[in-house]
Amino acid sequence: MNTAVSTMEFLRPATLAEALETKAAHPEAVPLAGGTDLMVELNFDRRRPPALLDLTRITELAEWSEVDGHIRIGATVPYARIITELGSRLPGLAMAARTVGSPQIRNRGTLGGNLGSASPAGDGHPPLLAGHATVELASVRGSRRVPVDAFFLGPKRSVVEPDELVVAVRVPPATGPQQFAKVGPRNAMVIAVCAFALALHPENGTVGTGIGSAGPTPLRARDAEEFLAAELDWAGGRPLPEGVAERFGELVAAAARPIDDVRGTAAYRGHALAVLARRTLTWAWRDHTGRGSCG
Amino acid sequence: MTTGLTRPDGPAKLTGTAHYAADADTSDALAAALVTTTVPNGRLTALHTADAEAAPGVVRVLTRADLPPLGELSTPPLGFPVPPLLEDTVHHEGEPIAVVLAETWEQARHAATLVRAEYADVTPAVPFGQAEDVVPHGGLVFGETDESKGDVTAGLAAADVSVTATYTTADRHHSPIEPHATLARWDGDQLVLHSSVQSVLFAQAALAALFGVPPENVRVFCPFVGGGFGCKGFVWPHIPLAAAAARVTGRPVKLVLTRAQMFTLAGHQPATRQTVSLGATSDGRLTALRHTSSNASAQLGDYCENTPHGSTWMYASPAIETSTRIQRLHRPGPTPMRSPHEGPGMFALESAMDELAHELGMDPVELRLRNEPEVDPLTGEPFSSRKLVECLREGARRFGWSERNPEIGSMRDGHELIGWGMAAATMDSPRSPSSARLRIDHTGHVVVETGMQEIGTGLPAMVQAVAAETLGCPPEDVAVRHGDSDFPPHTGTFGSMSTMGLGSAVRAAAESALEKLGAEPGDPLAGALAEAGLTELESEGRWSPEGGGMTRGRTGGYSIHTYGSIFVEVRVDPDLGLLRMSRAVGVYAGGRILNPLAARSQMIGGITWGYGQAVLEQSVFEPNLGRFLSKNLAGYIVPVNADIGEIDVSFVDDDDRVASAIGAKGIGELGAVGVSAAIANAVFHATGRRVRDLPIRIHHLLP
Repeated sequence: MNTAVSTMEFLRPATLAEALETKAAHPEAVPLAGGTDLMVELNFDRRRPPALLDLTRITELAEWSEVDGHIRIGATVPYARIITELGSRLPGLAMAARTVGSPQIRNRGTLGGNLGSASPAGDGHPPLLAGHATVELASVRGSRRVPVDAFFLGPKRSVVEPDELVVAVRVPPATGPQQFAKVGPRNAMVIAVCAFALALHPENGTVGTGIGSAGPTPLRARDAEEFLAAELDWAGGRPLPEGVAERFGELVAAAARPIDDVRGTAAYRGHALAVLARRTLTWAWRDHTGRGSCG
Repeated sequence: MTTGLTRPDGPAKLTGTAHYAADADTSDALAAALVTTTVPNGRLTALHTADAEAAPGVVRVLTRADLPPLGELSTPPLGFPVPPLLEDTVHHEGEPIAVVLAETWEQARHAATLVRAEYADVTPAVPFGQAEDVVPHGGLVFGETDESKGDVTAGLAAADVSVTATYTTADRHHSPIEPHATLARWDGDQLVLHSSVQSVLFAQAALAALFGVPPENVRVFCPFVGGGFGCKGFVWPHIPLAAAAARVTGRPVKLVLTRAQMFTLAGHQPATRQTVSLGATSDGRLTALRHTSSNASAQLGDYCENTPHGSTWMYASPAIETSTRIQRLHRPGPTPMRSPHEGPGMFALESAMDELAHELGMDPVELRLRNEPEVDPLTGEPFSSRKLVECLREGARRFGWSERNPEIGSMRDGHELIGWGMAAATMDSPRSPSSARLRIDHTGHVVVETGMQEIGTGLPAMVQAVAAETLGCPPEDVAVRHGDSDFPPHTGTFGSMSTMGLGSAVRAAAESALEKLGAEPGDPLAGALAEAGLTELESEGRWSPEGGGMTRGRTGGYSIHTYGSIFVEVRVDPDLGLLRMSRAVGVYAGGRILNPLAARSQMIGGITWGYGQAVLEQSVFEPNLGRFLSKNLAGYIVPVNADIGEIDVSFVDDDDRVASAIGAKGIGELGAVGVSAAIANAVFHATGRRVRDLPIRIHHLLP
């Protein structure tokens, strides 16, 4: 039993450069932005890190900008701003952001924090996967960009090195319809039982998908993406062929690697993902073609 | 737009100046943290406190040997029958075994994690349903355990149509936002408590008895309660522990329960298993009604959830038989929770009535109308007032029930199945004494003082309304001071009793003032005082039901209850097994409504509470750990704003001068009754699935 009192250092860098130096000197320091995950863990005494690295003073992390045709979202931009300021250009991400917690949580919680926690249930992850986002990491050694589908390694584990910080996410602006759907026992303030994001990319005839809460990490459904990209009549905008939505749903469900837990069974998660995939495809294709459709 | 009085306490609450128990001045107070059992049964064999005592900031760790002797006391007013720390026997997981006192809350909580306990003879906790059903005894048995008239067996045999089914409801926790909190301070043999309680009177009496001092030596402050729902009605262990710690150390002690401790040390509504049998003639008249029930209870201090109680006065039947039993289990003590007894009980009865209507091929509203009794069906005594028929008819009209296609699964909207369901509602009307002091100053301003706690229901506005109506003055001229045991006593803010008792007492005080002044209602009060040569006038008012003490609804030769109807529309997503309530209409008969604005708010809250019971709320008891699994509000989920669709609330004209001097009855808990049955009945209409186990979950609705 640990009877010693553990103290916790609270490090407050003012600039990103200072933050990276601090992180290099204190690799065990846990970054803190909105605190909506971390403070719960501290409160429940699930972890007691020797140091917290408070990022809230660093203004350069709290802004978004346009860089090389991408939207670059600073790691500490809260969900509330993603919804109000980026809703039309990153609609899938904004839809997911609207389902995060409560208004208070959306004012505090950040996409960078979502990535840093790397929970398989993070609401922000599926639209980033579907939208082909890139995560920007930095350390005193330099910076690097990691495609989001290579970012997650396991439950709450990612490629972030001990001396690195998540500094931004780069997402291409939507060129086609995007959707996000999530199943939970109530309409707000829920951890997803499962979630699904879909992005259609008509400029190059590709499809993006993201699965949440149904595997050790957030996942792409690559077979489903390839199947659907080949089936869709991108130019002509013909209605979805018979059976395509169903097959797409099956392939999405097949890509999931769910488990049974207190929120739902693996079987239900697979079933529900197929339903969400069918529905989001129907909605998205209707948006793309400007036609009503049933499914 | 509903008219009525806005809350005089609203601005203080909105701006954070309303003081709750934990806001009391603590500059010289020690912070207390409880150490609790981690096993459900067995014996405590050793307690190692040295590490905790050596931790920074720790002043003392109290165990049994350190406690002053405590007097014996029954349940209620105690919530759990054994005063804390006094026995080796472990009664449930989460039971206090030590109190850590430190200079700060964080230090106390940290040190509490360093206390080690050793146990012996721990066995797996027997789950509810696997223990023996026994007849409950003691102070937490409200009403009779067995009631009957006529021959139910013969009535069922003679019926053209009969239904029998078993229904279950889940363990539920009150989960107020404000946890229990107590600041205790001794000055010689005088004790001052700031505590979040639903009755300063109970707390005063209990602490006086436990510590062997006269009640007037104990002063309890509680102007505001940040939600109680029943879990702050009785005196739970933290209050005597805070007082004992203050006595032992000679310093004030502040004890705030953690959210997790709120799941074991403040009661809960226990899981129930109920069986209802109904027999009827082909024209829908009941020939027999049997309702039996068993609930999970603790090892000590039997708590009886009297679910069949409402079944004894709801419907005319020549034969009625009810019984309630309990199972004594190693789990925390249950306690009344909004809405006790009828809340879980009417889920079963009103589901069974819907099943009977379906078997008869009869509209469920019509079935209820055909079984409306003239007098109390069990006792034959008159109803003080009963407007259930009016509630049913008005509810059906407001909802548009006549548009309902009775065929199962006949109403759709896109991929959603729509169901319409209804249920009747009722609550017993317990009543209890109350009193108030009223002062008028030379400017004509009025102050009313009462021991009542404002718990969120709007009681200060009710006091303003009654005083203003009786005196004939503007309500804003009436200030209300409350929540101090030195004020005239009010039994408690629980059991939907406060408006009847306190309102009647305020009226008596106001009438007494007018009489002393020789004034008529509406006379300018400043002038009346001047004419009488007074600069201030004081009067007191008291009210109590027949017999002078607390009574239940069947008393004084009358059957006194409240009634209502609830109609809901649900939407079921059959592909995902998801259920939402898009619309609800509630119509209620609860005596004279004194403040329509607050009354409507109360019923909206009740319907939302009922939705939680129907769809979300369930504390899973984990048998291997012997404890409730999720002791937090992430695992135990309650409705959020985004879940609640349109709610239409109205009241039928009702005025019950038997129930109270002001014609009012209690409505605090009525709104939550019947909602779960209406939702389950609507789910059946939408899907053909009869869900008899609450909450209704995904797996109930999947293909």
